[in-house]
Amino acid sequence: MIPRPIVQIEGLHKSFSRGSEKIDVLIDLTLDVPEGEFLALMGPSGSGKTTLLNLIAGLDSPTSGTLIVGDQEISRMSETQLARWRTRHVGFVFQFYHLLPVLTAYENVELPLLLLPLSAAERKRQVLTALDLVGLSNRLSHRPGQLSGGQQQRVGIARAIVTDPTLIVADEPTGDLDSKSAEEILDLLVELKKGLNKTILMVTHDPRAAARAERVLHLEKGRLVRETSLYDLHPGGLNGDAVTSSPRRMEDVVREQP
Amino acid sequence: MSNLDAWILWYLDSPWRVIGAAVALLVFLLLVVYRDDWFFYARLMLKSLRRNLVRTALTSIATFVLVLVVTMVWTVLYVLDRVTAEKSQDLKAIVTERWQIPSQMPFSYAQPLSEGAAKETNDVRPSDSMTWTFVGGTLDPAKRTRENIVFFFAMDPAKLMRAERDERGNLIRTKTGKIVFNTMMDDLDQLSDSEIDLLDQACREMEKDRRKVVIGKERLAQMNKKVGERFTLHCINYPFIELEMEIIGEFPDGRYNQSALMHRDYILDAMDAWKRKNGRPHPMAEKCLNLVWLRVPDREAFRRVAEQIEESPDFKSPAVKCETASSGIAAFLDAYRDLLWGMRYLLVPAILVTMSLVIANAISISVRERRTEMAVLKVLGYRPGQVLILVLGEALLLGVAAGLASAAASILFINTYLGGIKFPIAFFPAFFIPLDALWWGPALGALTAFVGSILPAWSARQVKVAEVFSKIS
Repeated sequence: MIPRPIVQIEGLHKSFSRGSEKIDVLIDLTLDVPEGEFLALMGPSGSGKTTLLNLIAGLDSPTSGTLIVGDQEISRMSETQLARWRTRHVGFVFQFYHLLPVLTAYENVELPLLLLPLSAAERKRQVLTALDLVGLSNRLSHRPGQLSGGQQQRVGIARAIVTDPTLIVADEPTGDLDSKSAEEILDLLVELKKGLNKTILMVTHDPRAAARAERVLHLEKGRLVRETSLYDLHPGGLNGDAVTSSPRRMEDVVREQP
Repeated sequence: MSNLDAWILWYLDSPWRVIGAAVALLVFLLLVVYRDDWFFYARLMLKSLRRNLVRTALTSIATFVLVLVVTMVWTVLYVLDRVTAEKSQDLKAIVTERWQIPSQMPFSYAQPLSEGAAKETNDVRPSDSMTWTFVGGTLDPAKRTRENIVFFFAMDPAKLMRAERDERGNLIRTKTGKIVFNTMMDDLDQLSDSEIDLLDQACREMEKDRRKVVIGKERLAQMNKKVGERFTLHCINYPFIELEMEIIGEFPDGRYNQSALMHRDYILDAMDAWKRKNGRPHPMAEKCLNLVWLRVPDREAFRRVAEQIEESPDFKSPAVKCETASSGIAAFLDAYRDLLWGMRYLLVPAILVTMSLVIANAISISVRERRTEMAVLKVLGYRPGQVLILVLGEALLLGVAAGLASAAASILFINTYLGGIKFPIAFFPAFFIPLDALWWGPALGALTAFVGSILPAWSARQVKVAEVFSKIS
């Protein structure tokens, strides 16, 4: 069965103005991302990969074209509508973690949940589940400054998954980490992909990181120039595991763990 | 004044209305925007303020000091406004010489003026009255220094304080337990039961022995005298007269700390004695009534009493005028008009603008430093309005806390330790910071914090996520 596309992009165009100069960052891009796919975006600096990620995450609006995520045409949403939509549908992992330094790991993960109509008990359950999934149950009351880079990125990932979003977008998630921590984070993303069957979009410069994805898209000067699939990279499938057919809830995964 | 202005003034007149509105607004904001999560946001705001303790402390101190200065200025203006505000019921009227300052009327005016110059049965009579004669003197005629000079109000002690007592001398109380008493003096109706009891006893002692006087505690301290001591007053404005005096009590702490009070008959008797000795009236004999206070139930009664007095042929040489106490004091304060105008319309606004700039500076720096955090919040789904409220909330927390601390500290320090603000204007010895400052302080802090932080908060609201992260990467 071919999973339905969770992201549908058609004729997407994005340009910026710098003075009188018009810069085309994305040009006539068409792309489908099936639900549950782990997709990597690669390309040189200025190729438009972060802009594409921002557009898919609803952080920016396209100049023209259609952009549907889930069942919603987000290119026509207002800033406030996009904010509401992001809360429920997108989890964002940053290169530099961007945790609030004054809050503990627990509070940082709780931040997006405060925007949802949940009771304090429900919030607590989801925060603990997310931190458990990233292996930081014992660092709840630590502040970012008291955590290593890898641990901070795990908190960032917990914050991204805590709302059970449709889509997880990661912008160079290993870009600020040493190779060991980077491997751990990539392992974690793969585990989340396996366990929760979330759709993950990752921008990276690192071929080793991209090699963990099922499909890699190469952008150059705002155009898709090449595509490498899972079967080119891993003929046996992603880490030898089959893609499950539908996303799962975090709680179910944690419950299944021994 | 427009209806809107009048309504705003009426609304602001009650601290409870203002506090109620502020609390309702806060609760509304918190409940509507954040529902049950407001503890988290309050914690986040506090933690954000704590991240740069030096900056937060300096901003708080600046706000604290500026609120303190505004509180002191407003205290003076507040007291003066209150005493010059026209009442509609239970008015006090003041009768003085029409064409001369200081007012010096013959004492023969006292009785008919106390009756409101009423002659016919349908004339309006005041419900109470009081005469004042000012007697200034020195303890040492060879050394007229500030500590030796005393200024007495000579009046009927019963008008200062008269509590009802039974045959055994016990105080009579109402069914609700309040002491039944009467006073013509301002603010003495606020005294505690024990203070009323003591002051009433002192006044009764003064009636028995006219040499006995009551003096405010600060004045006593300046004179280096204590209750129980005796002294001779060498009168300055009543030449050739010396009065033996015994201090039998001090005024309750507060407005009358610098005042001194003696029996009016003592100075009148002294002038009679001088006349008997010298065979001619004392030079001040026909000038020894300075003020007559009348209490009237309402404006209409005041109008009629004033008309009776001013039209009476009995008070033509010298002529007198009758005005409400507030008008009388306002006329007296006219000499300070420019100073008060400057305090009200230049000094206070300048301080408020400075406060707003101090807060704006601190919050602007904080927002600039945290643009990435604002962008992260937006990425997580926070709406622009929520980011704005978070920044405003931080500023409001700081402003309200510093304002409240400043008001509380000023009440404790200035009222208790310094004995009020010693601002030599009119006949007010000191201005005590009213309890109303407890809402002025936080309200000032909140207002200036709001004004100071609205632009930085708006800037935080406008943060463009894509721009912030493109700069970082």
